[in-house]
Amino acid sequence: MKEISELHFPENLRYSTDHEWARPDKDLFVVGISDYAQDRLGDIVYVDLPATGSKIKKGADFGSVESVKAVSELFMPIGGEVVAVNTQLGDTPELVNSEPYGNGWMIKVKPGDPGEYQQLMDQKSYLDTLKG
Amino acid sequence: MRPGYLLALPETDYRQALALQHRAVAARREGRLARDLVVMLEHPPVFTLGRRGGRENLLVPEEALKQKSIALVPIERGGDITYHGPGQLVVYPIVDLNAAQLSVVAFVGALEQAMVATAAHWDLKARGDAVHRGAWVENRKLGSVGITVRRGISFHGLALNVSTDLTPFTWINPCGIQSCAMTTLSQETGVDVPMTTVRREMARHLSELLGLEFEAINLESLTSLLG
Repeated sequence: MKEISELHFPENLRYSTDHEWARPDKDLFVVGISDYAQDRLGDIVYVDLPATGSKIKKGADFGSVESVKAVSELFMPIGGEVVAVNTQLGDTPELVNSEPYGNGWMIKVKPGDPGEYQQLMDQKSYLDTLKG
Repeated sequence: MRPGYLLALPETDYRQALALQHRAVAARREGRLARDLVVMLEHPPVFTLGRRGGRENLLVPEEALKQKSIALVPIERGGDITYHGPGQLVVYPIVDLNAAQLSVVAFVGALEQAMVATAAHWDLKARGDAVHRGAWVENRKLGSVGITVRRGISFHGLALNVSTDLTPFTWINPCGIQSCAMTTLSQETGVDVPMTTVRREMARHLSELLGLEFEAINLESLTSLLG
């Protein structure tokens, strides 16, 4: 497990209390888990994601990531319709560990209420919660 | 040490115990359950499937299980297919991992170590394994670990074979590993290992490893806390 100072938290996205992040991408939001979450989980061996077309509310379960012998559930930072899932994670789930904000992205969401993005924490607030 | 609850149950139906875990996780998250909780019990014979399924690791037709009245229950835990039955100590720690300042990996390691330390009471040398998680005696599997984390709260846990009939394990590839031989405390030590001693030792080591000072709680009191 790394120190918080060794982890990376980009400023151009927002974070949930459940350690998911969201980044605006035109009228959609890209969603994944934070560097902190992937570090705490350890080597990820399986990622379970919803079908495209699923409509899932903010805070509801949208899938899970499995590290060695442990499943962690994933929660929507923003409610809406899942319009794309990262199929690369099927064969290469370790991308979530190596590039949590890049090729390790999980789903793209067409938001029901884009205002929910502003309710998420910015980088500074998120770091404050991690530091306790 | 933080205060924790220890709930000791007799043989309990798998689905009933699962429902209790779900309620306890929600209550722990919402603060109605103000302490971590460790549940110890045994199950009647049952096979459970992890998130990744694992039906391909069931080596007998599902029909054969039905004839023996053994249920096959799909659940949300990590890991693959496994078996629970009488003579196996099952432990479900409902722990707030953030409050305990434990990473998922460290927590799984602590559960392994609790089994290893319990086995050491009978001078049996077991070890954890960073790749094939569980407690092992040489290449024989003494105990399994599989947890789920829901919003920072753990559930599911560990299963330690004390005097379990190992026959049902031959109907599966346990943990999805080919040729993974199972064993029990009784088989390895050649003596009759009493479940009451195993429960006591397990509680003692979990207390140390998780930093919890246990207070026994009964099902009625717990149920009223869960609301």
